Amino acid sequence: MADLTLFSFNAGTTALHDLDVRVKTGLVCMLSMTLFFAGFTACLICFLALYPLIRSQGATLLHLILRLKGFLLLLIIMAAARAVTVPGEPVFSILDVEITRQGLAQGTLVAARFFLVMVIGMLFAVTTRPADLKSAAQWFLAPVPFIPEKRVGFMISLFLRFFPLILAQAGQTADAVNARCGGFRKNPVRRIRFLTLPLLKKTVMAADHLSLAMTARCYTENRTDPAFEPGGKERIFLIAGAGLCLGMILVSRESFWMIFWSSAKFWVDPVSDLLYSLRLQ
Amino acid sequence: MPDPILEIDHLSHEFAGGSGIHDINFQVCAGEFILLAGPNGSGKTTLIRHLNALERPSSGGIRLYGRPVTANLMLTRKTIGMVFQDADTQIVGDTVAEEVAFGLENLNTPRAQIREKVNQTLARINLSHLKDRNPATLSGGEKRRLAIAGILVMDPEIIVLDEPFANLDYPASRHLVETICRLNRDGQTIIVATHDVEEVITLASRLLILDDQGRLVRDGCPAELLGCLDRFGIREPCFSRMGYTAPPWQT
Repeated sequence: MADLTLFSFNAGTTALHDLDVRVKTGLVCMLSMTLFFAGFTACLICFLALYPLIRSQGATLLHLILRLKGFLLLLIIMAAARAVTVPGEPVFSILDVEITRQGLAQGTLVAARFFLVMVIGMLFAVTTRPADLKSAAQWFLAPVPFIPEKRVGFMISLFLRFFPLILAQAGQTADAVNARCGGFRKNPVRRIRFLTLPLLKKTVMAADHLSLAMTARCYTENRTDPAFEPGGKERIFLIAGAGLCLGMILVSRESFWMIFWSSAKFWVDPVSDLLYSLRLQ
Repeated sequence: MPDPILEIDHLSHEFAGGSGIHDINFQVCAGEFILLAGPNGSGKTTLIRHLNALERPSSGGIRLYGRPVTANLMLTRKTIGMVFQDADTQIVGDTVAEEVAFGLENLNTPRAQIREKVNQTLARINLSHLKDRNPATLSGGEKRRLAIAGILVMDPEIIVLDEPFANLDYPASRHLVETICRLNRDGQTIIVATHDVEEVITLASRLLILDDQGRLVRDGCPAELLGCLDRFGIREPCFSRMGYTAPPWQT
């Protein structure tokens, strides 16, 4: 578990590692959308279903909480904000600020949903190679007209590859500035100027070198398509994932229908108004 | 003498301010190991970029198998492989294997063939054990060898290396020298551009010297040109300066 880091790939041979990235992406989308409707019971079911997968990555609940402690703090603040802003039956009050039962319930539910989305995202990031992510983006974008999917896929991979390098360069530039007492400057504009301009120059030059190196290796958009290597358990995961989503919707059908009808109303009302006004004309 | 692969004919590239390269003429034949030496700013990088048609000359031209290098850019870049000075900005793959596959993917090679050639090339460069590693975690020498593997997999006729020993420690330099030497022994044509000739001068079959004005001032056998290196701002190797023979790791 010690190796499980947020949003960075950890090599492994678990079922999630072997799963086809397209299926994995589909499952992440399905679960995240279902969590949007989920109540407490559905969240609990989702967590219980995810926990074996978390364990398969060598993580425990305690490790997960420790890793996500910064994010959990944000969730607590968010839940607290809900608790004091949602009107309802007061539980107790501090300095004339009332904390309501409904606010507490809503805040906790939203925090639980966000926490689960974060856990799903983390499982995805930990078990998916950036190269596969690029391939999946390319595959999903292929049917979309006017989008050069190969270029987009390659840009994603370049971003993932060079973002840490840019961060490292930023660190080096900051060290170089601080080594000459640049850190003692009070003027924030000058401080930013001495950090950002050299960093920008370095980044542009690195981009220029990269572009030359890619050209020298015959870079073209008409490249060999990415290869997907299904692990053989895709169907099982898809059925299990769909079953889990269905189960979550069933146990939280009240909020599901409420959100469904309010969304439908959002789209249907303007259309019916338009039709009505056309009929009047 | 065999027919040349590459002919550089009165090549000039002017930069604002008068620098650049001027009236360069030489030919490259199969199997040669050419050392292109010159002080900083003499135009070594500019010259080798022209070989790969990455720059357009002010005058003159370069012919690959008798045809201008710009006539078929894909063929030119497949035939003449460039290894740049800074490996970090050259490596685009997430893993070592993916990095090596990049060139073949650009050539639209079928996936099964890519896999086979990548494995062969990694074995040839002794990087098979690092196949699934993130290139960012490799040492400087390994990155340089990876950059060579990325070129080698495309089966180039000529490999051009720009300052390959820059920022490398002694073991990494030595390993790289061995790799380059082995490639040349296998028949690969090599051009190494450097300001410090110490590491490879005894391996090269030919030495070209550029002066600080960007002119090709010497073209000949390295052993015969050792004595005039200092005159053109290039450090004479220690063994030659002290009257010794070449150190064992270079022979």
